[in-house]
Amino acid sequence: MATNKKRKNLNVLITCVIIASFLLMSGCVDSEEEATTTNELTVGISTDVNNWYLSQFPDGDGRFVWSQVYETLVRLDTDLNIEPGLAESWETPDNGTTWIFHLRENVYFHDGTPLNADAVVFSYSEDSYVKKMGALRALKSVEAVDDTTVKFVMAKQMSLPFYLTHVAWPIMSPSCVDAEGNFISPIGTGPFKFEDQVTDQEIILVRNDDYWGEKYVLDSVIFKVIPEATTRVMALETGEIDMAIKLPEYDVSRLEEEDDIEVYRTLTTFTDFLQFNCNNGVFEDKEVRKAVAYTIDTEEMVDTVLEGIGMAAQGRAFTPTMMYSNPDLELYEPDVEKAKEILADDGWSDSDNDGILDKDGKPLTVTLIVGKGVWASRHTAMAEAIQGSLNEIGMDVDIQVLESAAITSLENDGDFDMLLRTGYFVWGPYPRHFFVHQSTSPYSHYNNSEYDVLANAADSTVDEDKQQELYYQLQEMVLEELPAFYLVHEEKIVAANSYVKGYEITAEDPWLNLNGVYIENEQ
Amino acid sequence: MLKYISKRIFLVFFVILGVTIVTFCTMHFAPGDPEEVIAIARYGEDLTQEQIDWVKVTEGFDAPVYIQYMKWLDHVLRLDLGQSLVTSDDVLEEITIRFPATMLLAFSSLIISLTIAIPAGIIVAIKKNAIIGQFFMTGSLIGVSIPNFWLGLLLIWLFAYTLHLLPSYGYGGISHLILPAVTLGTSMAAITTRLTRSSMLDVLNQEYIVTAKAKGLDNRTIILKHALKNAMLPIITFAGMQLGFLLGGSVIVETIFAWPGIGKLLVDSIYARDFSMVQGCVLIIGVTFALTNLAVDIAYAFLDPRIRYE
Repeated sequence: MATNKKRKNLNVLITCVIIASFLLMSGCVDSEEEATTTNELTVGISTDVNNWYLSQFPDGDGRFVWSQVYETLVRLDTDLNIEPGLAESWETPDNGTTWIFHLRENVYFHDGTPLNADAVVFSYSEDSYVKKMGALRALKSVEAVDDTTVKFVMAKQMSLPFYLTHVAWPIMSPSCVDAEGNFISPIGTGPFKFEDQVTDQEIILVRNDDYWGEKYVLDSVIFKVIPEATTRVMALETGEIDMAIKLPEYDVSRLEEEDDIEVYRTLTTFTDFLQFNCNNGVFEDKEVRKAVAYTIDTEEMVDTVLEGIGMAAQGRAFTPTMMYSNPDLELYEPDVEKAKEILADDGWSDSDNDGILDKDGKPLTVTLIVGKGVWASRHTAMAEAIQGSLNEIGMDVDIQVLESAAITSLENDGDFDMLLRTGYFVWGPYPRHFFVHQSTSPYSHYNNSEYDVLANAADSTVDEDKQQELYYQLQEMVLEELPAFYLVHEEKIVAANSYVKGYEITAEDPWLNLNGVYIENEQ
Repeated sequence: MLKYISKRIFLVFFVILGVTIVTFCTMHFAPGDPEEVIAIARYGEDLTQEQIDWVKVTEGFDAPVYIQYMKWLDHVLRLDLGQSLVTSDDVLEEITIRFPATMLLAFSSLIISLTIAIPAGIIVAIKKNAIIGQFFMTGSLIGVSIPNFWLGLLLIWLFAYTLHLLPSYGYGGISHLILPAVTLGTSMAAITTRLTRSSMLDVLNQEYIVTAKAKGLDNRTIILKHALKNAMLPIITFAGMQLGFLLGGSVIVETIFAWPGIGKLLVDSIYARDFSMVQGCVLIIGVTFALTNLAVDIAYAFLDPRIRYE
């Protein structure tokens, strides 16, 4: 018995020692990390950079990292105004078909090779994914006129500089690849150089001391890959990361109340929209689409479902901060009675008293497709709010949450009624998004030749006043015709610990501006 | 013994072949056009139909499914798992980068699970009605019912956010391993505890235990030496299966703790219709699963001398 007791005591002792040593170990790790954080920023992102080369589109949060290493010919400031990037100036001698860009002089890539016209030609070679996209279909050729001048020739007139602002279309050094054309390492002109990457864990960038622009304060930036948003928030609160990008709406009010955390918010260029299948089903009838637009109260949606994050769109396709956003649109004011009237005038009535309207024996039952992608958490809640609102006017909504491949399959077959989406063809402040409803687009479910012509005309007009007039018309048309009902202008959320100073949030989404950012020493 | 093992390995080969065929067919008959999903992943949403058709032809999606499978098999037999359809990275390399993390997490959580479950199961079996027995039974019921994602977040909240003892995410030292391993380990322990209990109860009712008691052996020796050894067989089988599943990765725990394992890679690849990556992952997971089970069968012979493989 006595020996048994002794053994028990020994067990307790051993357990205590093990726990204590774990605590010590974790303590050591923490203090080590703190000692080196002086001029190093750690940013939590949700996806790894799975590609560094121009042959493929960098998806997810990888673009935030690209925008530190690579730069574009033309770029946007924090408020979406266009400004010179690697190109100092540009002109079009023939009103939009030919564009000549004059490159900035004395700019060097990270490996010391100079930025010249050949690098631009290389970045638009046949290998580049840009050449495979719809946006630059009209690009006929890119040639070097001399060392610092590049000529882009298009098949039609278009406002090319706006397109070249996209952070995923940067200029890369031809030394990114070996003699056989195989990619070696990312070499750009940006403020940070690529140092190291550990798959699915972290990407380390160090300051480019030969940067042509204003010098950055940070010595290095470490991007940590943390897929789960809740974990990202907790890692920010424990100080394991200094900054977190793309946080869920429901965490914002709590974080804003914390003293040592700063929450940055701004309207982005993305808007959530409810796309109708106008080619078949009940929404072929414009009156039914109108009834939906009058029923959904987008202001209430922002206030309740999204906890005040975002801006009610009331049908407006573009955030007011975007170029050519029409300020005089007559937006939809929610009016359920009017919606009911519209449906009654259109011949819908509840003949079997089941609460759901019907017409010619067919009930007003529709499907609403929601994707499982990055916007899923917001979209699912919004879809449920829409379902509740539409029930009030006698429309029965069946929500289906599906993965993207299943959605494309339903889309191709036209086997759905409504789709909840965000973005699509978003090009900085430029309204390229209108092409999504053009009948030739793979995502379009609207067929109107007048709209198709107008969208093409607006895109291939270079004169700013004329272009503005055409885009104003398009916005009015979208509001009146309702190929989609625009719900909420997205607000982007970045949160950082309060010792991170000098950060300015940017409206252009995949861009993270770290110019002027520094870590304030706590001592 | 050797004859038995070689026979089993021969069978494993057919099992793996079957698994890859089923996966290949399921992936190809899943809704949606793979060429469109892959084209969007490669070139962005702003696409033209010609581009989608081009992907279809270059990736051979226009050929019948069995031809596509034969092509894949042909490469695999030459030890080439191919390249990812989305990122063009080498499939084998991508898997080998992540496999050590998966193995580490799998073995640690299995050890945690067994260290909790076996003692708990024994206590529950011998002290059926005592408070401690009830306590462990309720504990295992709660353990089965708590979803992993909730337990994981709760542990992060407690140990990282509130107590600042452990890191909340990532892969690295032992401190990073504790939370994910405990999350997975405790939920598995719950089921193993119940299994240990019923297995122990079976054995304790057998006649040789009565004989041992009659011989005057003390309780400790009877339970640990005579009963437990015989009760271990089903537990080992079950632990082997659990290890097999764990080696396939755990998507939820990997996502919450930003653990760079194979499970999230597989699920992301399924969504992206990255056929070559999915096939590669399934092949590797299938092989480890089959080999783990083989190892369990061999372990039987050592545990129970009555079992002979002829």
